[in-house]
Amino acid sequence: MAAEIQREMACSEFEALLSEALDGTLAEAGAERFAAHRQNCAACGPMFAEAEQGMKLLQGLEEVEPPRMMVHRILAATTGREPTRDVVAAGRPSWAERLRGYLPPALHPVLQARFGMSLAMAFFSLTMVFNLAGITSRDLRKADLRPTSLRDEAVRTYYETQARVVKYYENIRLVYEIESRVRDLRSAGEGKQQPKQQDDNKRDEKNKNINEKTSERPDRDKQERYSFDFAGNVLAMLNAPASPQGQEGAR
Amino acid sequence: MDDPQAVASLIRRCIGGDADAWEEIVRMHNRRIYNICYRFTGSAEDAEDLTQEVFIKMYRTLGSYEAEKGAFMTWVTTMTRNLLVDHFRKSKMERMTDSMDVSASESGEEAQPLSEQLADQGPAPDARVLSRERQAMVQEALKKLSPELRETVILRDLQDMDYREIAQALKVPEGTVKSRLNRGRTELARLLQRTYRQAT
Repeated sequence: MAAEIQREMACSEFEALLSEALDGTLAEAGAERFAAHRQNCAACGPMFAEAEQGMKLLQGLEEVEPPRMMVHRILAATTGREPTRDVVAAGRPSWAERLRGYLPPALHPVLQARFGMSLAMAFFSLTMVFNLAGITSRDLRKADLRPTSLRDEAVRTYYETQARVVKYYENIRLVYEIESRVRDLRSAGEGKQQPKQQDDNKRDEKNKNINEKTSERPDRDKQERYSFDFAGNVLAMLNAPASPQGQEGAR
Repeated sequence: MDDPQAVASLIRRCIGGDADAWEEIVRMHNRRIYNICYRFTGSAEDAEDLTQEVFIKMYRTLGSYEAEKGAFMTWVTTMTRNLLVDHFRKSKMERMTDSMDVSASESGEEAQPLSEQLADQGPAPDARVLSRERQAMVQEALKKLSPELRETVILRDLQDMDYREIAQALKVPEGTVKSRLNRGRTELARLLQRTYRQAT
């Protein structure tokens, strides 16, 4: 026992054996002395714990993967030739992979085949519609695509359409009004004349009934109220007895 | 790869102008060299550049390899280490290194069992693979070690080279390798201990 104490390990010896102790390659006798010193020495005990922990942390590091194109670049820089085996296939990304790299992750599903076919069909359909409509790419100037131009165009189209509708409505109303006035004048003129043949009377009555049954004709009072002045001018122009030629001219 | 005769044959073919033999050498060693460079620099870009430099230098000096003086892997490791040291000197990283001379007493740390302090920071201490966060922390701590300690722990704990091979590669005695290994491991643990304390 006394001999063992005399052979107690020094700190320098402990440090020299530390790495082998961590490797587990110390001989049995040396391991006992090493363990005894580790328990008794206030400096070497913590040092052993730190070294052991450091070793475990380092050994816990994973191997990192080299870049895929590295072998390719090394061979190009040294021999200047392409790799013979799967370096090209495995290392060089395909055009789809490169395109995927450029796109943000949210757009990656667009690269699927079904989306590609949908996009192709949509493009084909639009191209056909534009061709049938006579729209060419030259019509699409950059200025036309500016928000302000689009807004001005929309406003202009709206007012043009509105003016066209109002004009059409006014024309229709004028035609109805003229026809109505002409018929009134005709009927008034015929009332003063002697009754003609019976067939003519029947025809007049029939025409009168038809005119009175016309539901599409605007209300007579409203017509007079809306366009009294204008109707007066027209009546002045039609001062002469009504005739089929006069009606045609008015229209 | 470990068969010296096969390696010697491959090298002879390569020196003779066989591009396929050179490609075989590149394939065999690129991963290992890249990992050494990455762990030493902590940068993927630098690691790739340095790996390429290693192979360019290897391609030019392959004729100077002598199988009698040591294994081809040791020769490659020595070349890699020399380029890494050159890179380290060029990039002036010495100023950023604050690790080696900082002892526990200087930093005011008590010599407490580190295993207890690190064990409560994450999963089981015996876990072989660390989490990504802890790997990043270890890599950061590794960068703070001096180049001598860093290269030693990388070759031993990450590349699993034996003491004799490391001594040959670094051209230092085995005793120095062991001493550097002990210091590197303990220093790394202390740096991480400090990081954990700052984080908590």
